[in-house]
Amino acid sequence: MLEIGFGPGVVGLLDPSFPLEWIGTFASVAAVAPLEGLDTVARILIEGLGKASIYFIIAIGLTLVFGLMGVLNFAHGAFAMVGSYVGGVLMVLLVASSAGAATRIVFFVIVVAVVFALLTAVGAALEVGLVRPIYDRTPMYQILLTFGVGLILEEVARIVATARGIQPEPKWSGAQATIPSALDAPSEILLTLFGARIRGFYLFAIVAGAILAVVVWAFLTRTLYGLYIRAGSEDSEMVEALGIDVRRAFTIVFGLGTGLAAVGGVFLMWDPTAGPSVLLNLEVLLYAFVVVVIGGLGSFKGTVVAALIVGLADSLTTWLFTSGTVPFPGLSEVTLFLLLVIALVIRPQGLYGVEEVGGH
Amino acid sequence: MAHIAVIAFFAVYPIVYGPLTGFPALDVGVGIVDPGAFFDAFLPATTFLIAMLFLGLFAMSFDFVSGYTGYLSFGHAAFYGIGAYFIVLVANGKVPGLPDSTPFMLTMLLGALLAVVLALLIGAVSFRLSGVYFAMLTLGFAQVLYQLVRNWDYVGSNPQQGPNLAGPTPEVGVPYVDSLSIALGRLAGDNFKNVLGTGIDVSATMTSYYAIGIIVVLSYFAMQRIVHSPFGRVMIAIRENEERARAVGYNVFWYKMAAFAMSAFFAAIAGALFAAYRSSASPDTTFYFLVTADALIVTIIGGIGTLAGPLFGAFTFEWLEDVLSSQQGGLAPYLRGGLPESVLNADVAGVTFLDVINTAIDGRAPLYLGIVFVLFVLFVPNGLLGSIRDRLGGTVANRLPAHLERYRR
Repeated sequence: MLEIGFGPGVVGLLDPSFPLEWIGTFASVAAVAPLEGLDTVARILIEGLGKASIYFIIAIGLTLVFGLMGVLNFAHGAFAMVGSYVGGVLMVLLVASSAGAATRIVFFVIVVAVVFALLTAVGAALEVGLVRPIYDRTPMYQILLTFGVGLILEEVARIVATARGIQPEPKWSGAQATIPSALDAPSEILLTLFGARIRGFYLFAIVAGAILAVVVWAFLTRTLYGLYIRAGSEDSEMVEALGIDVRRAFTIVFGLGTGLAAVGGVFLMWDPTAGPSVLLNLEVLLYAFVVVVIGGLGSFKGTVVAALIVGLADSLTTWLFTSGTVPFPGLSEVTLFLLLVIALVIRPQGLYGVEEVGGH
Repeated sequence: MAHIAVIAFFAVYPIVYGPLTGFPALDVGVGIVDPGAFFDAFLPATTFLIAMLFLGLFAMSFDFVSGYTGYLSFGHAAFYGIGAYFIVLVANGKVPGLPDSTPFMLTMLLGALLAVVLALLIGAVSFRLSGVYFAMLTLGFAQVLYQLVRNWDYVGSNPQQGPNLAGPTPEVGVPYVDSLSIALGRLAGDNFKNVLGTGIDVSATMTSYYAIGIIVVLSYFAMQRIVHSPFGRVMIAIRENEERARAVGYNVFWYKMAAFAMSAFFAAIAGALFAAYRSSASPDTTFYFLVTADALIVTIIGGIGTLAGPLFGAFTFEWLEDVLSSQQGGLAPYLRGGLPESVLNADVAGVTFLDVINTAIDGRAPLYLGIVFVLFVLFVPNGLLGSIRDRLGGTVANRLPAHLERYRR
């Protein structure tokens, strides 16, 4: 079920010809618009790639869990939200107001590692305690269970955040303030290269997303557990017959999926359009679904490609609708779901998906 | 029999509720006992029962397609929203060809037919897929509609808040026969003093409750009729084994489409009742993904695949909402007012009991609902009504008399 590109998928990602194809498409669209220069093209592209990285980070955990276990994890967004809050708490505790950009980024990496470890343990425990007893039922019950877990986590987060005085502020600005000013302001690198005023955060996201993609890919193709996971998603009965403990693989993958969701949450803490909030739960959940479904449920390659498509389309439409080329500002919010609908109408099983996976 | 008992219970409930909460407080020496306040805190108020009615009908329509054909319609809120927005827009004179004086019942049916058309369009695309993909595609369509309505300033001056109902309160009844029409609406509806000389006053809220209740009951019996017809048997056959149903010779695609369309019809009626009662509609309470989720939760608690189950699930839902609400008649104000000062301020590890009430009880219905939901998924997968049926070995109406017979003598 989990279709991981051994070579072609990730080579496709790293292969210069692939992104260039997209650059070509979007550049030609942008070139049609009058009075727009290189800075606009660069802005759309780099913001798009930055958004694509964030979409990838929040969706990849969902892909892993679905690919191996066939469980559509509706608590994914809630895990991201919890990760965002926990990461925020740690950052606020660690970062003094005088800390420089480099220190803050080092702390950020430490926080990502801590949150990942923490939430991986939580996810594994949840799998053993709640999900494991209901594998023998129809897939719908696993959806329902994880959805219920998400509801509970959301309310608990709301109670804690209210009690600690973080809510009812829509976003927790205290955690957002820990972003180094170099990432919050227009990036100097991009200004000198293209003359484009883009937040440094997007550059940071591109680097982080690329690193994470390579790490997950290496885990899946270079480690023993990655092998178990790939084999288990092909035919879990056969793997079990060969003496591999599939149940333990399920636990580990659910834990990893949870940890990756939380890492996504930590990134969204610094995202200028997101920030730690209870609402992050549903936002992340819906975005992750769109990416995973367009890419084909359970496909690593599909997640990478879909994240790129969605990210670039998102930044392109945001630009189109805010620059006044198309006079309907709200439409940029529809883009994501329109893409989902169009993708499913044209290619029901997703770009790299196998048809009817997880159906019943 | 069971139907009559349930309907009678809900019909009598608001009449009994008044006297029960009206019990005077008694001083029994050691302290004050106030049964009225107790009932007020633990019995759902009529306003919550009205919410139960339209949520229940919406959940039934969701269960009609998801519980009986097995296709999880994750964007069902789209039809609910169509019904609700159609009422408000027609009443505001914003739908071309329909004057703002169009009778409510007519508007409701037209809105429901519009939902049917939409369902056929969505279904034509979505039924090419099944399982998770079907759920995602319906969700995608609903979210597109949600975002469009949220940003379309034609529907209201502030589309994110949604339009309000201008003009007269919608009247339920037979169209064009004024003497049979009763105005709905929480505050602006009809009320009747001393009905038929019985001394019972029917308030505006109670009037809405009965008027909406009649439509919900009629819709329930219509759906129940369909489910028990040969058509309903085919729906169940599709749920149990679609391949086999196709092999037997049924054109499963059209059966699924028809079931989806009928379900959309009743979902739109539920939305219309909601909008008429609330005199407004907003994207977040009609078209949003969480509205479908409410129907899903209620259906699971009540019993998926049992048409009446969602109503009992909705009752549980609204009861929790009422008990845990912050307003008068909730548990938190009751505890705060009823418990002695010394208990409220008892300090355990820096946390007083009052803090516990304020953080863990006051307005925390979603938390407990989530916990109840997870417990149901884990331990009571067939829901309230489904489990009772399993226990009795058949539907309650058929099996309960025989079951009771055993305990007679």
